[in-house]
Amino acid sequence: MNKPNKRSLLIVEDSDEDFTALVRMISKANISNPVYRCEDGEEALDFLYGKGEYTDKFIAPRPSVIVLDLNLPGIDGREVLTTLKQNQDLRMIPIIIFSTSSNPKDIDACYLQGVSGYIVKPMNINILNQLVKTFLEYWFQSVELPN
Amino acid sequence: MVYRFDPDGSGSVIAEAIEENLEPFLGLHYPATDIPKQAKYLYTLNLLRLIPDVKYEPVGIIPPLNPLTNNPLDMSMAVLRSISPLHAEYLDNMGVSATMCISLVKNKQLWGLIACHHNTPKKVSYETRTICEFIGQIISFELAARENSQDSEYKIKLQSIQSEFIARISHEQELKTVLIQNPDSLLDLVGAEGVALSFGDEITLIGKTPEKSAVVDLLLWLDTQFQADVIYETTHLAQSYPAASNYTEVASGLLALLISKVEKTFIIWFRPEVLQTVNWGGDPNKAVEIKSDGTLRMSPRKSFAQWQESVTQRSLPWKTCEIEAALELRSSIVGIVLRKANQLAQVNQELSRSNTELDSFAYIASHDLKEPLRGIYNYSSFLIEDYGEILGDDGADKLNTLMRLTHRMEDLINSLLHYSRLGRAELQVKSIDLNNLLEGVLDVIKASARDTEVHFKIHRPLPTIKCDRTQVNELFTNLISNGIKYNKQNKKIIEIGYLDGDSQIELEKGVTDVGDTKEKTIFYVRDNGIGIREKHAESIFRIFKRLHSQRKYGGGTGAGLTIAKKIVERHGGEIWVESVYTKGSVFYFTLQ
Repeated sequence: MNKPNKRSLLIVEDSDEDFTALVRMISKANISNPVYRCEDGEEALDFLYGKGEYTDKFIAPRPSVIVLDLNLPGIDGREVLTTLKQNQDLRMIPIIIFSTSSNPKDIDACYLQGVSGYIVKPMNINILNQLVKTFLEYWFQSVELPN
Repeated sequence: MVYRFDPDGSGSVIAEAIEENLEPFLGLHYPATDIPKQAKYLYTLNLLRLIPDVKYEPVGIIPPLNPLTNNPLDMSMAVLRSISPLHAEYLDNMGVSATMCISLVKNKQLWGLIACHHNTPKKVSYETRTICEFIGQIISFELAARENSQDSEYKIKLQSIQSEFIARISHEQELKTVLIQNPDSLLDLVGAEGVALSFGDEITLIGKTPEKSAVVDLLLWLDTQFQADVIYETTHLAQSYPAASNYTEVASGLLALLISKVEKTFIIWFRPEVLQTVNWGGDPNKAVEIKSDGTLRMSPRKSFAQWQESVTQRSLPWKTCEIEAALELRSSIVGIVLRKANQLAQVNQELSRSNTELDSFAYIASHDLKEPLRGIYNYSSFLIEDYGEILGDDGADKLNTLMRLTHRMEDLINSLLHYSRLGRAELQVKSIDLNNLLEGVLDVIKASARDTEVHFKIHRPLPTIKCDRTQVNELFTNLISNGIKYNKQNKKIIEIGYLDGDSQIELEKGVTDVGDTKEKTIFYVRDNGIGIREKHAESIFRIFKRLHSQRKYGGGTGAGLTIAKKIVERHGGEIWVESVYTKGSVFYFTLQ
């Protein structure tokens, strides 16, 4: 097992409230892995490609796992997903979709693009708590990730 | 008398001046055979033809053959040329002893004759003959101009009808309305006495036309008569379409205009048999004189009978200007149709635009509305978690209510979203064994309603039908779970089945008329639940319509039956309820 501390999480989420809820649940789970946030698709791509304000590798390290919202202002999540999955290097990073949409079309399209998971944002704090816990345990403690 | 030839070679007397004691010939028609082609040709060469005494003795030329050419002498131009013995007999039968014919020639064609008869032999002086020939030439000269102006008067009349009509058409939105509302213009436009308008399966008859059923049959035949043309005309319909011989009195002539083959839009004008339209100069029934030996007596009356024979089942010819008027009408109608098509295209565009809007609406419902809602919910729960002690039980209670309401709102949004998706999703129609499908539905329902005692009755196996499995699954699920949900009985009974073709209800719905009853099987889900009052039988299918408060019968959004109805309708079926209040309900539905 990799050293858990090294693993970092990039959350691409435009909603402050949703992000706050996520972070709250992550901190409840007592996991100290670094969490980065991008508010829209463009910023996410800058972060991952080391462009724009993210030219410094220190403030924008390569994340181990990406949590991606589908509906983002500007370049939306679907486009980010397509771009990343076409990149020889970045396509290795597991992407988990975290979206309001439970539309089967969206879900199928994302798996076709090669996402590692699809989570529908719940409207129940206990379920959210459980989901985040499961997510962290799985991605940060159970599975091996590419280096 | 002035005799005029028709284009087909027959002719009629159009003017006469007679002694009182003579029988009038005015208006009589004669067949083309009465004046043979050869005779007609000679009339164009000799503008004046005289027979001073019909009972003359012809004298042969000596020698009969010209010794130089060995051919008979061409007597065409000779004034003294003998006439055909048949002609002489004809005249004799008429009681005519002397005749003089002045040719009327228009555009080098024999237009008609001025025929002068005398009942005793008569010689006409050279001066009179010259003057007569001169008069004939003057009239011939005038003919073309006169006829043109007469024709142009008619043409102008047609044109004015046409332009007035077209002006009206272009203002009107509905083609059918404008045509039906102006029956006279429609008939006058081509000089018809009846017209049938066919719009798809709908037929409107104006004026003198065959029976509707006959027109329906005629249309089937007519449909095949249009190749590249858009117009079909005949003055002898019964010849090309024998069934028309039953109604020659109204439809011997037919002028059909094809507006649209696909939509079966035709305008068909009718003209009556010409017998009905001609003003007879005498009683046509006394036409033939039979001699004592049984042979027919040659007389104008006999000719008359022949003419009558040759024109039965025929109408007056359609004039070029009338056909042009019809074609002109067509192009303005096509204009209207095109404009309509444009409007349709626009409506279609609007529709697809509003469909797209509906899509984005569904999207808004799914994401944009839910996001703030989730925020309200989450922050309420954070409040309780972080400040629960300060808020106290009362405060926490209110926040819990707030969270419950956001949940309800989310349920409503989800139902709306589901409903909207249902309407747009493509049906995956396959052969589905309903027994197998129902088994799955009941397994799920049994699992979720473990605490309640439900008895499911399925008296006989259900058929296999073509439908969308997922949707029909949901349909049964909704109806069955409603039957359990709105049920206060200790022992809840749900019966699922279908009706036979001879059952009472099926007859009432008129489903057996469709013929293939298997396709229209009526399924039912019966419960012994709380029942529905008659007045709610319709409104229960309305989205978010609930008959009970949220606290009763386990709550819900009120979309279940709306979704059930949508599924049934998407399958081309119907759903309805029969219920006895407090005793139970039966939901019937068809899927086809």
